[in-house]
Amino acid sequence: MVYSMRRVERWARDPELTIRMVLVLFGLGLLYILFLTALIASGIDTVAVLVFAAVFAFLQVVLSEPLALASVGARILKPGEQPRLQEMVERVAALAGIPRIRVGIIETPMPNAFAIGKGLRSSTVVVTRGLLDLLDDEELEAVIAHEIAHVRNRDVLVMTIAGFFVVVAQLVFRILFWSGGGSSDRNRRGSGLAIAFMVSLLVWILGQLLLLALSRYREFVADRMAGILTGRPLTLASALLKISGQISRIPSRDLREVQEMAAFFIIPPLRGESLLALFSTHPPVSERVRRLEQLQRQLEGLA
Amino acid sequence: MKRLFDILFGRAARPVPPRVEGLIAISTAAITMEAQLGFVPRPIAGLVFKPMESVYFERAQEELDGVLQIAVKETNSTYRIWTDSYRYRWVILEDPDFEDLVTTIQGASQILTEHGFGEQLLAAVFRFDDREGRPFYWIYQFKLGKFTPFAPREGRRRDETQELRLVALLERELPVERRPELWYALWDIPV
Repeated sequence: MVYSMRRVERWARDPELTIRMVLVLFGLGLLYILFLTALIASGIDTVAVLVFAAVFAFLQVVLSEPLALASVGARILKPGEQPRLQEMVERVAALAGIPRIRVGIIETPMPNAFAIGKGLRSSTVVVTRGLLDLLDDEELEAVIAHEIAHVRNRDVLVMTIAGFFVVVAQLVFRILFWSGGGSSDRNRRGSGLAIAFMVSLLVWILGQLLLLALSRYREFVADRMAGILTGRPLTLASALLKISGQISRIPSRDLREVQEMAAFFIIPPLRGESLLALFSTHPPVSERVRRLEQLQRQLEGLA
Repeated sequence: MKRLFDILFGRAARPVPPRVEGLIAISTAAITMEAQLGFVPRPIAGLVFKPMESVYFERAQEELDGVLQIAVKETNSTYRIWTDSYRYRWVILEDPDFEDLVTTIQGASQILTEHGFGEQLLAAVFRFDDREGRPFYWIYQFKLGKFTPFAPREGRRRDETQELRLVALLERELPVERRPELWYALWDIPV
């Protein structure tokens, strides 16, 4: 009985992903310690740099929602507008145990969706007109559940905070680069600065790769949660296939211009053919579908 | 600390277990609603949940059916199962005895919980009619373990004044949710 009482809870677990995330965060931690040590040793005013970056990160967290919404031209729905969509979102939110969240819409034929916001109390789920046209109700609900899982996991906040020192490293690297931290000046400026220059470059690159891995793992987590919330993992799989099929067919400029927001979409709008999996915010759709199929087998007692 | 780790490792989105305990309080609140406020409890209630595509869920549903059939024989009630257009499943119970209604709804939610599907429970709804015959619902939110008010009116509008008023009046007897951002709507309730 105890075994069956925790059925949904057990399905929600994915120990493999948890271990991967622990490793990635551990790696980031080590990298950041290395970075801070090098920064302090180099004689750069570390405190000033950190304070500057902290203010920047804080503003990013606070302003990301209105800025993102404005930059993609999203309009928040009024009560009574698109009633079916709003009720669908409301019900999934109630099922997931989060407060009612705002729903936004972007008038573009490109099918996509994203969630943005600081936390549970202030978040917005945004869908495009193309998404509403492309998907049937159940697929739409699955996509919404995926976005609501992101909200519950506070993915925007976690990614911003986890990426804090990568931003700092980028900043330091740029400062040193433009202030002549290049090869010829190194001896004059002392080896400390040279080390800081190299280390910040290393932290920037490696940190970015780790962050991308983290982002991909969190996509898998949101997929799994959406599959469980809606009770039908394969509905999300079919939505993902439809969206990715459509995105590669419709050429569109508007959404591609918001590159920095790619991580927050359900399928990133930027789909360069040469993008390696390592440099991508999202896992390949085929891999996501494979995992959803695996979840379905689990639900049916076949795995 | 655990919450922090859950958020960091992407475990914060796990399904929320239901809280069934608070549900029973509606029995006594119904008396106050009728005697002091003139809201007549209707002999009908609904339990709504999100079904899962799983053999285990089908088994839970079968047991639920069996238990409901027994309950119907013992009391003077009827039930039906209905799936709405958002693919949520409703158990709609009718029973002239309000207390029996509450007990059966609670029993039904417990069966789903025992089978490990408590996370799929969305709400239980109890209908009252005000003096003008307009519906007012107490919606038990399983994820919150609290009741939220819902007074639907023509044209998908809500009577917020009535909702605020009843929350204020029944606060002592009923575990009500005070924060209006959690007062989810549930349009086209079949009870």
